[in-house]
Amino acid sequence: MIEVRQLCAYAGETALVREVSFTVGPGRVLALIGESGSGKTTIGLALLGEARPGVRLTGTARVAGRIGYVQQNPAAALNPARRVGAVLREFARAAGRPARDAVAQALDSARIPLTWRELRRYPHQFSGGQQQRLVLAEALAGGPSALMLDEPTTGLDPLTRDAVIGEIAALARRGLAIVIATHDLGAARRLADDVVVLRDGQVCESGPAARVLHAPSHAYTRQLLAAEQHPRAGGSLAAAEPVLEVEGLTAGYRQPVIQDISFAVPGGSRLAVVGASGSGKTTLARCLAGLHEPAAGTIRLRGERLAAHLGGRSLAQRRAIQYVFQDARAAFDPRRTVRDQVARTAIRLRGMASDEARAHADATLGRLGVGSDTASRMPAGLSGGELQRAALARALLAEPEVLVCDEVTSALDTVTRNASVALLAGLPGTLVLITHDLGLVSAVADTVAVVADGRLTRYGPVDAVLAETMEDAR
Amino acid sequence: MTLAGYGLRRAGVGLLQILAVATLVFAFLEALPGDAAVAAAGDDPDPARIAALRQQFGLDRPVWQRYGDWLGGLVTGDLGASLRSGRPVVSLLGTAAGPTTVLALVTLAVLVPLTVALGVCAAVRAGGWFDRAVSSTTVALHCVPEFALAVLLIAVFALWLGLLPATAVGGGLLEDPALLVLPVVVLLARSAAAPVRTLRGAMIDALASDYVAHARRHGLPRWRVLLGHALPNAAAPAVQQLARTVDWLVGGIIVVEAIFAIPGLSAVLVEAVAARDVPVVQGVTVMVAAVAVLANLTADVIAFRLAPRAGVA
Repeated sequence: MIEVRQLCAYAGETALVREVSFTVGPGRVLALIGESGSGKTTIGLALLGEARPGVRLTGTARVAGRIGYVQQNPAAALNPARRVGAVLREFARAAGRPARDAVAQALDSARIPLTWRELRRYPHQFSGGQQQRLVLAEALAGGPSALMLDEPTTGLDPLTRDAVIGEIAALARRGLAIVIATHDLGAARRLADDVVVLRDGQVCESGPAARVLHAPSHAYTRQLLAAEQHPRAGGSLAAAEPVLEVEGLTAGYRQPVIQDISFAVPGGSRLAVVGASGSGKTTLARCLAGLHEPAAGTIRLRGERLAAHLGGRSLAQRRAIQYVFQDARAAFDPRRTVRDQVARTAIRLRGMASDEARAHADATLGRLGVGSDTASRMPAGLSGGELQRAALARALLAEPEVLVCDEVTSALDTVTRNASVALLAGLPGTLVLITHDLGLVSAVADTVAVVADGRLTRYGPVDAVLAETMEDAR
Repeated sequence: MTLAGYGLRRAGVGLLQILAVATLVFAFLEALPGDAAVAAAGDDPDPARIAALRQQFGLDRPVWQRYGDWLGGLVTGDLGASLRSGRPVVSLLGTAAGPTTVLALVTLAVLVPLTVALGVCAAVRAGGWFDRAVSSTTVALHCVPEFALAVLLIAVFALWLGLLPATAVGGGLLEDPALLVLPVVVLLARSAAAPVRTLRGAMIDALASDYVAHARRHGLPRWRVLLGHALPNAAAPAVQQLARTVDWLVGGIIVVEAIFAIPGLSAVLVEAVAARDVPVVQGVTVMVAAVAVLANLTADVIAFRLAPRAGVA
């Protein structure tokens, strides 16, 4: 049972959350819906009795029993220096539960069956999707009666997303009171009994999901629902010269993660690399960008063979291939302003003076919807969505020939995401998108590469490949 | 990469480093004017006598031959004999290393828990009075040269108050632990600042992390969050800083040993350099280099275990 009454949050004089009230009974799911910065995470933290530094709470947020929390970007909640099994057992014991049974049960509920050997691994030895389940398992290890899940379906491939939605529904059936903060309207539609639509910390509309999401009474809710339809990009598969050619690429850590992958990316085309978590998509992208040294194979840029490692590539080659990381927060230095860090691209790779570079940085950031005020803050002062856009701006500032994006839209709400999708679709260069987001694929990509278990299983025009893949998924 | 593979590769590099240091020192000693024969001749620089001494010491042979002999001996564990006393270098060092080792180990045994206690407590209330007191005291002590601090402590505790002995002459360090107090205090004062500040900074970062917040939310006791979740992440850089302190303890202990008249490696080294006693200097060099390499290797292996992600690159 979760009960929130007249909850307000202030940062100084600014109200972040205004008079939010809701109750969630056992076995019920409530979805907090809104754009980044609408106050979803602030409410989530208030349920745990926490507030970000400098934030003042008034009103009440009560939870009967324990509440488990899975944060957005859950990988950061895993202790890099501790084996996952030991932490799970410790969390179970801290809640006064028998460690063995509680851990087995939690792993089972989070659907991440691990052997005792796998429990001795460190978090970095798991894929992004597995890490998210591990955090869920940790939250469940304490035997909570309520759960707060911040963006639980963000950054998941469609199949995993479906599975996660199924798991959350199963947890609700077992009697947990669940709050999800999400911008994934599809997930909210499938999971939520009740919905609270937030805008700038205020409740626009709330009520049963069936009514709010199908017959919204508030204009903003209608706008959110309308934005769900992706803008469809034009353009056809160009029979242009290949910009990027990959031949026999094999790479991995101790074992190969990707094996013998070959393909060519024609100039100006938009390639989407799709596949389940842990299939090797990110490793492939990192090889292209020179961040991971392949064990075998070659990568050519306009026919020129690229050095395996970034250090061996010329300035022009580095500028030509830019990489946008999945975890935007980790990709920024926490101690320098976002503008300075974005401008650095232009200084380093285009030889601009710092004033000129800053002006360019501001212009690019502005196009992506990051205002000049926001850009002058430290990364900690930006939301996840804003940082991801800043990361995109940082790469675009190099005016790359090939832009490699690793799950860049996964942390954005629908409205800002569509703006970014439209922007990505309108870019002049060649695009390699690593993504789970089939909506993004159909909106932006013209070519699709499907990676499964480290091998390229399909490659071709988007419509044909997507149709086949959906067929297989059934 | 596995821990074992990493350790082996680093050990190989370490052997090369020791060899390089020994070779450089050999070259430098060779380049200095005069040699053991000139030094031994002392006040009687008769060319005939010097030539005789040279022949006796084997210094009349070409440089590369002497270097080759020394290297060959090193492989079999034979570091040659002192030119001055004729004693085997291994036994000479064995005797002298004892007091130095005791001093270094006792200092470390105090330094490690002290670093953890001060670093963690300072980080918990970063910016508070305790943090500021620790920072200013350790940095201030770090800035006082060890000879000045040693002289001051001797004046107060040995001469004025008469509480502690001023020198180690005539007593074994282990038989009479009071002898250790002042030297260890001086060494601690000099070496505490860097590891404490490193650990403090790393702890502040770790305490602000999501995984620590996550652990707190599970209702773990406060000490468990600090020591079980934040410290393992913060320890990696501090351990490497400690390795640097060990280097310093072994190589830089000379002044402290000299002031407190501790018959350790420094006495042997100073005497051997003055006498151009190349085999002894070489022996000390190899030993100090080996300890430095070993300390850093150990620290890197511990850091590799503590921060498994960093080791992949």
